[in-house]
Parts: sequence; C-alpha cells; structure tokens
Amino acid sequence: MDFGRPQQGERVRLRMRNLYILPTRFGWLWLAGTVLLQVVGVQMQSNGTLLLSFLMLSLFLLTLHLTHFNLQGVELACGAPAPGFAGEPVPYPVRLRCPGRSEGVRLRLGGEPPGPALSLAAGEHELAVSWTPPGRGWQRPGLLRIQTTAPLGLFCCWSRWHPQTAQLIYPARRAGPVRLLPAGSAPVVGEPALASHQDGSDDWRDLAPHRPQDSPSRLAWKLLAQGRGEYAKRFLDRPEAAPLLAPEPGVPLETALEHLSERIWSWHGRGLSYGLELNGQSVAPGRGVLHRDQCLTALACCR
Amino acid sequence: MSRAAAPLQWLTMGLLALGLLGLSPALSLSLLAFGLAVLTALKLREARSLEERRVVALLQLVCAGLLAALRPELAPSLLQGLAILMALAGLLALELGAGPDWKALLRRSLQVLLAALPIALVLFLLLPRLMPFTNFGAGQGMGAMTGLSDSMEPGSIARLAVSRQAAARVAFPLGGEPPPLEQRYWRVLVHERFDGRSWRSAAPTFARPAVGQATPPPPPPAAPGEGIQLWLIEPSGLAAVPWSGSGRPLSADLNLQRSGELLNRAPGSQRRVYALTRTADQPGWRTAPPGPVDLLLPLGENPRLEALAAGWRRLGSDRERLDAASGWFRSQPFRYTLEPGALPRQAPLDHFLFESRLGFCGHYASAFTTLMRAAGVPARVVSGYRGGQWVQPVGGTGYVDLRQADAHAWSEVWLAGEGWRRVDPTAWAAGDPLARPGASGAGIRAGGGPLDWIQQQWWGLDIAWARWWLGYDGEQQQALVARLLGEQRHLLGVVVLLAVAVSLAAGLGGLGWLGRRHRGDPLRLELERTLRAFARQGMAPAAGETLGGFARRLSQRWPSLADPLEAFVANYQQQRFAAAPSRAGRRTAHRLGRVLRRSLRTGNRPAEAVQRDHP
Repeated sequence: MDFGRPQQGERVRLRMRNLYILPTRFGWLWLAGTVLLQVVGVQMQSNGTLLLSFLMLSLFLLTLHLTHFNLQGVELACGAPAPGFAGEPVPYPVRLRCPGRSEGVRLRLGGEPPGPALSLAAGEHELAVSWTPPGRGWQRPGLLRIQTTAPLGLFCCWSRWHPQTAQLIYPARRAGPVRLLPAGSAPVVGEPALASHQDGSDDWRDLAPHRPQDSPSRLAWKLLAQGRGEYAKRFLDRPEAAPLLAPEPGVPLETALEHLSERIWSWHGRGLSYGLELNGQSVAPGRGVLHRDQCLTALACCR
Repeated sequence: MSRAAAPLQWLTMGLLALGLLGLSPALSLSLLAFGLAVLTALKLREARSLEERRVVALLQLVCAGLLAALRPELAPSLLQGLAILMALAGLLALELGAGPDWKALLRRSLQVLLAALPIALVLFLLLPRLMPFTNFGAGQGMGAMTGLSDSMEPGSIARLAVSRQAAARVAFPLGGEPPPLEQRYWRVLVHERFDGRSWRSAAPTFARPAVGQATPPPPPPAAPGEGIQLWLIEPSGLAAVPWSGSGRPLSADLNLQRSGELLNRAPGSQRRVYALTRTADQPGWRTAPPGPVDLLLPLGENPRLEALAAGWRRLGSDRERLDAASGWFRSQPFRYTLEPGALPRQAPLDHFLFESRLGFCGHYASAFTTLMRAAGVPARVVSGYRGGQWVQPVGGTGYVDLRQADAHAWSEVWLAGEGWRRVDPTAWAAGDPLARPGASGAGIRAGGGPLDWIQQQWWGLDIAWARWWLGYDGEQQQALVARLLGEQRHLLGVVVLLAVAVSLAAGLGGLGWLGRRHRGDPLRLELERTLRAFARQGMAPAAGETLGGFARRLSQRWPSLADPLEAFVANYQQQRFAAAPSRAGRRTAHRLGRVLRRSLRTGNRPAEAVQRDHP
C-alpha cells in the first residue's frame, strides 16, 4: 500500500487525517475464509464452526482498530544526520515518540526495501533508516513511509512524510588518478617522523637477506660476488612535504571529485598528511578525522 | 518474524492432526478436512516468506472450523479451541519482531482472543440462523453401529456380547427424577415384519425428506409446567432415536411416526442432541390401530407353537389370550442367558419354546410376539433400551446413562379399548438381570472404581455442553431474541449493531488497559503514589531535595510518621541501588507504602478534628 498525500514539515504527528488503512491481500483472504466457514457452519448446523467464523469476523473488526492504534498519535521528527557517501547505504536518523506501544512498525525511505518490523515501547526512539543517496551535497532523503500490519497482518496502516532535514553526502569513493601538487609549506611541524618512515627508493639504508620477491636490481651484487651470500639493499624515501590533492585535469569534475574522495579516505586510513586544492579554495595539509571531514565537506559542496 | 512462529505453527498442525484421528472417512466433509490438513502441512513445510506463513495460519483456522463441524463433542471441541489459540499465536508471532518470548506471545494472543470473543458471541447469539442450503450430505456418516439394528434375528446369535460402550444419555434439566427402574423402557425401533426368522422395521434407515418438501414449522416451545427430557445420543447409523414413548418433540427435525418411532430428519444425522417435553398424557401412537402387517405370520414354520396358540384362539378376548400366554410362560422353566447357542434353521421358535428354553430378550420377544400373532392378537416387537443408571454428577444435572449392554427387545400387543400395551416376556424368565433382587439401578455398576467415577463426571460435563452449546439452534436463538426484545423484534438489527459496537469498544478498552497496566517501574510507581498522598496534604518535595531530606521534613511535620517514613525510604533506596532488584523487595515497598499512607490518613484525622474544634 503506497499512496496518499505526503506530509511536509519538520515534525509530523500521525492522526486520523494523515494515516491511511486498508485490508491487505491476506485480509481479503481472511474474509473469504470467514465466509467459507459461515457456509459450512450453516450447512452442517454446527455451532463451533459458526462461532469460529464470527470470531474471525470480530478479529477482523478488532484488528482494524489495533493496527490503526499502532501508529495513531506517533510523532515523527528528524534527528541530526551524520554525513555519508553517495552511492552506498547511509543511515538517516528518525525520531519517533510513541504515546503507547507500537508493534510491527516498518520504516522505509525512498525506493529502499522496508526495514525489519520493530516493536516500540511507549516513549522516544531514534531509529536509523537506511537510504542510498544518488549524488553529493546536501541531500534530502525523499519520501519516508511508515507502515504497520501488526497484530494479525489483516490491515496495512501507513503514512508518508517528506523529512525536511538535509543530510550531507560526500562524493562516492572511486579509485582513480588524482593530481598531486607540491605543498607550499613543509610537513606539519612536530609530525614529520611518521611520514618519513616509508620504504622508498631514494637513500640506501640497510641490507637484508634477499627474498625471492625482491627485485634483482636491489640485489647487492658486490656482496654476492664476494661470496657473502644474497642480500638485498633497502632504500628509504626522503621526507617530503605533504602534497596538496587536486582534481586530475582532463577528467570530468564529478569523477575527479569521486577520485579525490577515495584518495582522501585511503590516505586518512594510512595516516598520511595531505591538503586539498579545489577551485581556488584550499585546505592546508594536515591529518586526523576533523581534517578529513573538512576536506570531504569541501568536496561535497564544490560547485 | 519471531522465532516462536514456526514451532507454534507446527504445534497447531499437531493438534489438528490429533483432531483428525477420530473422523469417520465415510463423510465427504471429513475427507475434505483431511485433504486440507495435509495441504496445510505441506504449505507450512515449503513456506519461506511472511505471506505464505500467514496463509498457513488461515488454512489452519479453516481446518479447525471444518473439524468443529465434524466433531462437536466436548473433548474434540477443547482440542479445536486449543488449536485455534495456537494458530492465532502463530499468526501474531509472524508480525512481531524476534523479541517476544513464548509466554508473552501466548498472553498476547489470549488477550486478543478475549477481546474479540464478546463481539463473536453477540453475533453468534443474536443473529438469526439460516437453514441449510441443500440436503447435501444427508444420511451420510455414522459408521459406528450400535447394539440396535433394524433387523432382529435372535436365533442366529449363539452368544451375545455385552458392550459397555456408551449409547445415550438422557437428562432432565428442569429437575425431576427419572421414571422408576422397572418403567424405564426407551423405545427406538418397531419391528413389524416377520419372515419366520427375523424381525424387520418398516422405517427407513435414514429419513430422507422429499425434494421440495416444505420444512415444517418449529413446534411451540415447552410450556413451563411440562418439563424437558434432553437426549444426547452417540452415533448409531439409525434414523430412529430413543425416547420414552411419551412427550412431544421440541424440534422440527424430529418426526413422530404412527408406529411410535421417533425419526430424526436432520440432514447428515449429525445432531446428537434433541429435547422432548415430559408430559404424561397418552401419546397418539398408542391408540393408532394395528394394520394387517401386525398379524402376518408365515404359517407352518413352527408347528408346535401354532398348535399351542390355536388353543388360545378359542378364548373370548385378546386380554384373556394375553393372560393365558403370560401364565404359560411363567409356568415353564425359562431361563435368561446371554449364551443360548444358535437355534436350528428348522422350527427355531419351537426349539426355543419347548426344548432349550434358554435365551435373551430377543428370543423372548420374538417367541412371544409370534405366539400372540398365531393366537390372533396383533403384536409387534419393539427394540430399544431398558433401565440405565441414574448418575448425579457433582454440581450438575442428573442423567440416565444408557450403555449398549442396555439394549433390549420387548413386545407390544394391541388390546381393544386400551391400545398398544407393552409386554416384556423377558421379565417372566428366571435370571432376568433387571428382575434380580437387589439389582437396583445404582447397584448394578457400583463396583466401577475411580475411573468410572471420572467418566461419569465427564459425561455430566458433556451433558451440560450438549445442553448449552450443541442444543443452541435456530429455535433457541429465536426464543432468546423473543425474551430479550419481546414485541420489538424489528429492532434486532439495531440492537445487534449497538451490541457489536459496545463489545468492540469494551474489547479495545480492555486491551488498552492491559497494555497500560504493566507500564513503568513498580518501585517508582509506589513512590509516586506515596508522594501524591503527601502532596494532597500540601507537602511536595522542593526542587533538588533528596528523598531523605524530604522525609526528614515530613517527619518534622508529622512526628508520628517518622518510623514508617524511615522504613519506606530505607527500603526504596536499598532497592533502587541494589544490584538486582528483587520481587520480594518490590512487595516490601508496596507493603511499606501502604502502611505509610494509612498512618498518614489515620494520623491526620484527629489533628484536623482538633483544628476544626479550635479554629
């Protein structure tokens, strides 16, 4: 069941005017079963069958109200959504305030499959509803559908709402080429050590026993010739200034942004320092979660 | 979908299978129920999605409904009720998340069931009943045969098995005692046709109403003084049902034949319950004159019998002939036995009357009736039940318990001016079980033991069930409506709608109440209740005041409350900060709170009185 006028506004309170309820297919089937039992009961003059048929009918009447009561008076509001990446499921927080017990509540955003049925006690609940944002920037998650078929699945009661709070969505992460600009400044003061401990190819540092996967060019031929065994040379990168990341020229902007997004994410994961240069806007090199989020926000809001 | 859903649905299947066990396969509806149950089980096995599982629950309910139509007795009904409850619990479990446990599920389904039951009962009790659409299925079923049969041929039975199976029960719900033991003859079949060996009944095995025959109007209900006899019979395969021979049937389904047979023409002969009035007036069948068939006798079959009867033919009246026959029987050494041995094919009755003189009721009734016919007196054999034990269950209606072993045959002879008179030639034989000294009704089966006692109590319940549940038919429904509404019958629709609305509101209110009752922390609730009591006296905790500080302030105002206050606060704090709050602690809090509030009430009254006296 999915029709009806969607509600607008920061908060919405579900009531008679904005809740819809109809029998499900199973509900119609249930009525058919009731009629069948009624016919059998009349034909066989059997009190038990007649009573069961009436009982099924009264359950039908009763669950009409019980299903409606599950959502009646429930207040919906948005939580503060955390940023997420485009193209993958992102949790969107929805606050529910239930006046009584609400059973079998399912929430669904956009075209996503409905979530699991939840039994909510009276009080405030914050639920994360998953949705997949199509693009970057400040995005609204689209239509939120709240529905329940509890307790017997005979009726479906639902409502629709457009949550107003937008969620910041970073560009999707896609591996690809990124332009590295030399930074104007030296590495971040006080933290050069971590970046300098990378294996590289600039300075000879050490010898280590040769492993089959080592390149033959690294083999210490002189030592081998002296008959002292196979050794590989180890080199070290010179400590370098943290680069500024910039969109690769010749790649469409959106794709370039996705590449940058992936690069920032992976460099953050490896603990590297980086800066960002984007459309004249620049973020000084740095590290850490706040820095990463600052860069990703710049990507998300880039015009 | 809760994890409990699948086990609950399988449990329901098991209960339904148990209910299917006792079905007779002869009835097409029971085949339908069986097929449906098998399909439901297969569907349940294959079901993966929520939708499919729901359909399984619905199929289970329909299955239970079919079973209810086939097995309306008390015990199967209890089983069906349980299956319905389990099917509903399974359906509920499908909708709820994985959370609720079994107990919560069962409680919830009981709540929903109880909330829905009043509406169902209103509809069940008040909605007018429809008559069956067709007579489809009439005369089917009832595979079990009783000790009675429409053909009686005692000569071929060498040994009569005594079956303790239940045959029927008759209760007298409006009070009153059964007739005395020697008067308890419950007639079923009248055998008029005699071919020399066997007696046959003229009535059909099943009463089939003619197509297009209008349903007779229901007979008027019993007048207040008439009394009621309520019959509950086991399946017999016969259309004729037992009755005492007097009284008037209270159902349109029962048809009283001219011969005194009571035929049940309900379709399917499913009804096992019927009621008759308990009048003592002379019923019409007693005075219905005999036909030529009542004198028919194949001549030459039993020459010695005919010779004996020929002597009585010369007597003047039928009454004298009857007396002569009775005198002759008493003078001969006849003995009652259940193992008389088979009679010869040649002149069987001669052999019985003049040589073996051993037999059971069938022999005596058969020989005596033949003798009377040979002597020119219209006579016939009647079979039914004799005696029966009077059982008074604890706190229930007393009933006469008839077993298959109580099956009996006797004779009826036509006496001019009197009508059909019952003559029981078995009573003239030595060793008749009913005539034995000391063989009063209770004495015969006194040595039953506790199992028999339990069975008798159960049957007492069964009688009550039959009376109140199976006996509730269209006529009862109309009587109820007439009692409720009197002349205002046209208002029935409005009344039904109103009653449904009221029961719906009550059910919803009850569910809401049940849901609310368990809300919140009981310890906190107790504290708030106590604080409210103090607030009514104008004492409320100040902002930021601890419970201990507030208690000190309270005990300054009411020094007499210091002790209960201290105990209450100490217990509250101990429970509040306990690692695992206990049920005993909650109970203590409840008790202490009550003590405190009571001391507040009793402690205040004198003070207020003093203030009022000295303003």
